[in-house]
Amino acid sequence: MLLLKKSSIWIAFLIALVTLPQLFDSILAVSILNQMTIAIVFALSYNMLLGQGGMLSFGHAVYFGLGGFLSVHALLLIEYETMVFSILWIPLIGGLFGLLAGLFIGSFSTHKAGTVFAMISLGIGELIAASSLIFSSFFGGEAGISGDRTFGPLFFGIDFAQNLEIYYLAAFWVFLATLFMYLFTQTPAGRMANAVRDNPERAEFIGYSARRVRFISFCAAGMFAGIAGGLFALNYEFITEENLNAATSGRVLLMAYIGGLGYFIGPIIGAVVLTLMNSLLSNYSELWMLYLGIMFLLTVMFLPRGFAGFIMMHQVAWVRGNMKMLIKPYTLTGVPAALFALCTIALIEMSHTEEEVFHFLGLELNTASSATWIITTVIAAAAFYAVRKSLHQLSEAWDTANAIPKEERA
Amino acid sequence: MSILSLKDVQKNFGETEIIRGLSLDVAAGEKHAIIGPNGAGKSTLFHLISGRYKVSSGSIKFKQEEIQNKPPYEIARLGLARSFQVTNIFPRMNVFENIRCALFWSKGYRYSFWHLLGRQSELNDEAMHVLEQIGLKDKALYPSGELGYAQQRALELGIAIASGAELIMLDEPVAGMSHSEAQSSVELIRKITEGKTLIMVEHDMNIVFDVADRISVLVYGEIIATDKPENIRANLKVQEAYLGEVITSA
Repeated sequence: MLLLKKSSIWIAFLIALVTLPQLFDSILAVSILNQMTIAIVFALSYNMLLGQGGMLSFGHAVYFGLGGFLSVHALLLIEYETMVFSILWIPLIGGLFGLLAGLFIGSFSTHKAGTVFAMISLGIGELIAASSLIFSSFFGGEAGISGDRTFGPLFFGIDFAQNLEIYYLAAFWVFLATLFMYLFTQTPAGRMANAVRDNPERAEFIGYSARRVRFISFCAAGMFAGIAGGLFALNYEFITEENLNAATSGRVLLMAYIGGLGYFIGPIIGAVVLTLMNSLLSNYSELWMLYLGIMFLLTVMFLPRGFAGFIMMHQVAWVRGNMKMLIKPYTLTGVPAALFALCTIALIEMSHTEEEVFHFLGLELNTASSATWIITTVIAAAAFYAVRKSLHQLSEAWDTANAIPKEERA
Repeated sequence: MSILSLKDVQKNFGETEIIRGLSLDVAAGEKHAIIGPNGAGKSTLFHLISGRYKVSSGSIKFKQEEIQNKPPYEIARLGLARSFQVTNIFPRMNVFENIRCALFWSKGYRYSFWHLLGRQSELNDEAMHVLEQIGLKDKALYPSGELGYAQQRALELGIAIASGAELIMLDEPVAGMSHSEAQSSVELIRKITEGKTLIMVEHDMNIVFDVADRISVLVYGEIIATDKPENIRANLKVQEAYLGEVITSA
């Protein structure tokens, strides 16, 4: 962040949003990009709670889902000509209802942070998810409800039937939502959210009610989750109970955490990585959820500040021009680590598959032969040993690259 | 004219009486020290005045307004600031942000989410000014949780005084400091509380007699004497209860 001016980051973000669907223009790619942009807004809104406000929520999908349901109902109103407005504004309806839900639920759940808040969020999440199956006239039961985005007044002749058209509509809102969520962090309310996260007691002695500060963040997070829900409704034209249940709440937590809670860009990275895993990896392996779980565990254990934290760790070495020193040690550890990961994946997949021949990276592995198993295991063990052996030189190189030069020492 | 006035304040935790019918008047502009043996209730008294604890009975008036049982943030907004015995800062924010947050309310920003902080040059200058006063200007962008002990204490003090409160309460501001660190902290406290009212809990008698205009001696939840330093020194009852053992043991 020190290296680039802030405005140039925003311009780069805008250019990326505009050009990505031109570079990757297949139907699959556009659909993935749509999911990704929605996930970015949702994950950023979650980080307003956990990363910036210190509120661990297990029920953030409620605001996403409610925003989505109201958006589909709005689509239906447009379709039946009860109301006449362009579907361009649908995400705002999602946002409005996310905000209303936040105002109501936040009024009693933000009294305390910590365990109390987490348990209330879990309870509310379960309550709404259960209600959504009971009140089927509104939520449509297990099948959910669906709408059609092509009705209503045209927007400069566009009816938003194409995925690409809806992508650009979404990109517009995603850019705005991201910008406003960033700007929120630069206001007194945003800074006090950090202060209350760090030390709610002291915040009260400098004039702020910790509860009120949390409440404001909570409502804002609900609103932006609702906007994400509205974008989801526009993209898929249907929404079900799955979109507001605990699984969706868990996924957004994973995105924010894996990306890095302490950095504004963290949840964006998490949203991109998880969407890619979700949509690409799931084509190759039925076990992708297992890999996601392992990745989450490894992140919690070894990169507590997430991917963004890992990137930012290199700031000092970068500023000192010492990145070159790290290339060799990273390769020496990284290559065997990758080999170990691949062998482990091969072993897991071979135990899972029912085929006799398992195709993996252009190899044909015979799962019936014990030789395949033994060789893979031996390679994995050797690679693991190499990683263990090389960690020492990596940590030494790290210390050298980050050391303060003599002339700078006071 | 007293700025702070306590009448018959009592505080019980269950069956245990910690503060037993305490009355105290502090005049505007006065430097008032509270001394007493461990467990006398000094910190509890601070917590009662600043709103962290609710009183069991009695009244506390700050600038003629009853503040007992108001939440801490309302009391702080009236112009009563305090520091803590155990360092109590915002550890994951940098030093500058710590001070700037302490300035928000008194500068009228309230819960604003429409002011961009980068553009509030008056606020930012003021925060830098406070940092200069407490000697942490060159640490402005340093993560406050990673500061050394004496610097964290200075920041603790900075958060308390930033808002420009009329009454400043310091709970053992120099505890755990070396002699020279304590000395420069005392200078700092003297400088930043000029023209303001100060109430201080402190164990170091040299500092207490040096700084205070008046001293109250708190023993087992009761004030046994409030007087000028020289009279406190001469007071037999005080020597018996407190000073005697300090002087002989020191």
